[in-house]
Amino acid sequence: MHRRIVLVALLAAVLLVPLGASAQKPIKVGMPMPLSGPAALFGEPASKGAQMFIDELNARGGVLGRKLELIVRDSKADANEAVRQARELILKDNVDFLVGTLTSAEGPAVSVVAKENKIVFIAPIPKTDQLTAPDKLHPYVFRVASTTTIEGRSAAEIVAKWPVTKVATISFDYAYGQDVTKAFVDHLKKIKPSVEIVDQQWPKLGEQDYNPFINAQMAKKPEAVMSSIWGGFFVTFSKQARALGYFDAIKYNFIGLGEAGSPETTKSMRDDYPVGIWGNSYDAFYWGESAAHRDYTTRLSKYLRDEYPSSWAVQGYIGMQVLTEAIKKANSTDSDKVAKALLGLTVETPVGPLTIREKDHQANRGQLYGKTVMDPKYPFAIMKPVTYVDPTKFMD
Amino acid sequence: MMTRLGRAPWPLLVVALALLVPAVGSRFYTFLANDVLIWALFATSLNLLVGYTGLVSFGHAAYFGIGAYTTGILMKKLAVPFVLAFPAAGIFAGLAALVFGFFCVRLTRIYFAMLTLAFAQIVWAICFKWNEVTGGEQGMPEIPYPALDWMDRLPWVGDLRTSDHFYLLTVLLVALCLWALRRIVGSPFGRILTTIRENPERAEFIGVNVRRYELIAFVVAGAFAGLAGGLFGIFNRGVFPDFAYWTKSSEVLIMTLLGGMGTFYGPPLGALALILLNQQIVSYTEYWPFVLGTILVVLLFVFPGGLAGAAGIVSRRLARALRA
Repeated sequence: MHRRIVLVALLAAVLLVPLGASAQKPIKVGMPMPLSGPAALFGEPASKGAQMFIDELNARGGVLGRKLELIVRDSKADANEAVRQARELILKDNVDFLVGTLTSAEGPAVSVVAKENKIVFIAPIPKTDQLTAPDKLHPYVFRVASTTTIEGRSAAEIVAKWPVTKVATISFDYAYGQDVTKAFVDHLKKIKPSVEIVDQQWPKLGEQDYNPFINAQMAKKPEAVMSSIWGGFFVTFSKQARALGYFDAIKYNFIGLGEAGSPETTKSMRDDYPVGIWGNSYDAFYWGESAAHRDYTTRLSKYLRDEYPSSWAVQGYIGMQVLTEAIKKANSTDSDKVAKALLGLTVETPVGPLTIREKDHQANRGQLYGKTVMDPKYPFAIMKPVTYVDPTKFMD
Repeated sequence: MMTRLGRAPWPLLVVALALLVPAVGSRFYTFLANDVLIWALFATSLNLLVGYTGLVSFGHAAYFGIGAYTTGILMKKLAVPFVLAFPAAGIFAGLAALVFGFFCVRLTRIYFAMLTLAFAQIVWAICFKWNEVTGGEQGMPEIPYPALDWMDRLPWVGDLRTSDHFYLLTVLLVALCLWALRRIVGSPFGRILTTIRENPERAEFIGVNVRRYELIAFVVAGAFAGLAGGLFGIFNRGVFPDFAYWTKSSEVLIMTLLGGMGTFYGPPLGALALILLNQQIVSYTEYWPFVLGTILVVLLFVFPGGLAGAAGIVSRRLARALRA
């Protein structure tokens, strides 16, 4: 009899412990983010950036007298998994807000969960235009990432200045790849009508063997290529492309969107990096534009114990920073009030002031662009000169 | 004592208990219970093949996926009401099972298993690539909930959330499907399937058209998996290509084995156990696949008949102890 009571008590304890609420209630933020697979190259540092912001904030006493607590869950760069994690974060962990997701498949899927549960969701990384398109927009979704329109058009402005007319593209066959390629092609044709798109390759997201796509593209003899193969995938792609003489064939007239110019990509590839191509990045520790940015980089470098800290941390950092400012402005953690406070909110971030537009809940987040070169100061390639392309003129 | 316990209307009691979950549990428990119910139906449909007919399918998720996409596309893009979209999931999945099964039942054992896997991967690739219809990699979010306004007017139930209403509907539909499956395995048709499992040569010898019976079992199993998929797409608030991916097939196979194949209520028990284990372990450690794998290995070694087999042994021991 006693044994049975003990058993029942044990079972109850096991079932109830994760649901129990703590006495001193922090504000909980749920973050579905890829922490495994090739997307982890970006997802993991983004979650660290968010954690750094929270640690610093809590050391200063938090917001509205309460501490912030970040709960990170591995979304495995998979929309279905991201939705599942987001719903569990809301239902089981009772998070007050969601900040997270990385791929353009995850973002819109989690946005639906936020809408149904009436919880503010800030997307720090997914760029697809579909996330904040008029038919998908709802009061609770916000984005501090760039968009496919901004990125595609920024790249088109750069390529238009090259002495080339035969242009090709290679992108993953899903929301981000399709949208950024369309924005690039449309804008390029508009500003330079003499351009001809000679080839478009569409490998599936997560492709491991790019040889058929590379060979098919080289056969069409393009003079320049726009790629949006991102994250750890760019590493695989460019190694295979280099072996086939792809970059030599197009004379390094190649622009790698999807942050192919980020320090972590060049760092992880070292001598294998196709130095001389153009790339972009959300951030770069060597940028040094403003005092605020230099200060942020120093703190991040210490926090991550990395001499050359990640460029992705800034997106997690900004996501949390914008949320915190909105909570402060709303003087509440109620999602309806915070959502209202976010409209038109301007925040001084490490990359400069960002404003959330009322029209489409989109921040004016641009990116860094530059041609990659080897710099004797670093054991890997950097973008030099590196320029922040202001997105304002590209936003409809 | 035991006979009285055995005669209690257990299935009805379980249904009644399941209906009470939204009233007593939190939103999260309702969410979990909904998940368990749908997987229970999915695993039971697989058990018709694995446990009762002796056909090990590695591609059962294909029909789950087809059902999910059928209901999803009908309800979201064509605004078809649930009363039509739900049975359509079973019909389309059953039709697909008829076509694939036609080829699969011509092979035996491992070759049968490999072919079911191959067909499932084809289904997955179509879901993944056909952007215009399935939404490709991004999947198809925002499948609407069925119109359950009539529940608002019911006493007790009216004040609950839409997701709770959908849960109650799931309880009724899954109970209905399980009842139908129970009737099927208990029928003469079901007995012939068991005969085929025990000895296909002898079954052939006494005049049973083995291939035809296997094909029918394959279609029925596929259709019920499709119904489970139809419900899951709505429950999950979106349909994604990995519903049809091989990992889903292996997950449901594990549930069936864990619960005990060949016993009717084994697979639902397996679904319950695997989902709860998964839940609890994931919230304690990030190395959950390791812990879960270890637990599964131990369970399968200690209870070769699965959880249902273990429950059988325990109840028999108890009965003996009570009699003594």
